[in-house]
Amino acid sequence: MDDTTPPPPPEEQAPPPPPPATHTGSPTDFLKGVVGKRVIVRLTSGVDYRGVLSCLDGYMNIALEQTEEHVNGIVTNRYGDAFIRGNNVLYISAAEVI
Amino acid sequence: MLIFSVFKTLTDQQVTVELKNDLSITGVLKSVDQFLNIRLDSIKVLDEARHPHMMAVKNCFIRGSVVRYVQLPSEHVDTQLLEDATRRESLAAVKR
Amino acid sequence: MESTIQEPFDLIRLSLSERVFVKLRGDRELTGILHAYDGHMNLIMSDVEERIMLVEGIDVGPPGQGATVKVATRKMDMLFVRGDGVILVSPPSRT
Repeated sequence: MDDTTPPPPPEEQAPPPPPPATHTGSPTDFLKGVVGKRVIVRLTSGVDYRGVLSCLDGYMNIALEQTEEHVNGIVTNRYGDAFIRGNNVLYISAAEVI
Repeated sequence: MLIFSVFKTLTDQQVTVELKNDLSITGVLKSVDQFLNIRLDSIKVLDEARHPHMMAVKNCFIRGSVVRYVQLPSEHVDTQLLEDATRRESLAAVKR
Repeated sequence: MESTIQEPFDLIRLSLSERVFVKLRGDRELTGILHAYDGHMNLIMSDVEERIMLVEGIDVGPPGQGATVKVATRKMDMLFVRGDGVILVSPPSRT
């Protein structure tokens, strides 16, 4: 129960950014790398979509294959293909090594 | 642009506009603009008991952003034409 | 004939004149035949069935089953759907 390291680093001052520990590359590089891979897409509503990322565009509109819809950890739907409108996307997370 | 054109072809037809606040208004489509703002004439609110303040209103302007659905007269919609126009527009968007 | 998908909208274009499933904000779902769309995901569909999920009561229970859900259904002939309410569009399964 020591609080020597609070979880999110505060960004009050802006020192030179530390080098990323695990991965180099911009958000764009991440998105390029994750196409064709299994991903988890979380919407702002809290609903998750797990599937293979077919492609995405600059609005973060997303095409997924073999998609499972998860609500509170329960599979609520399956879609062969799914188009997700980008404004609903909170994040895209890689579900396998990229 | 395509959908704007569709609405223009439906002027003087009767449509039902359902708003995001669940109010449904039937009326004659008088005009539409590029934002899909809509002007309706001879309007009638679906559930008047629930919206008594609307009873005296005969025409209205609806901001496009508050629209959820518009029910269209299907006999005045050429679906084949729509699909062809949509394919053309989407291909043009990619080439750009 | 299966052209590859290069951008998300290709998925929608390949669904024209097919019956699609649409998930909307406000716990609404539609199925209907897709005739037109644009870059905002404004849609025009025919032979539409809408399902509205109404949460009845919030009881305690296992996660995800905490509330009973009632479904209201209605049919519409020809419908314009404003794109800003769209969450997800799924074409008919092509398996």
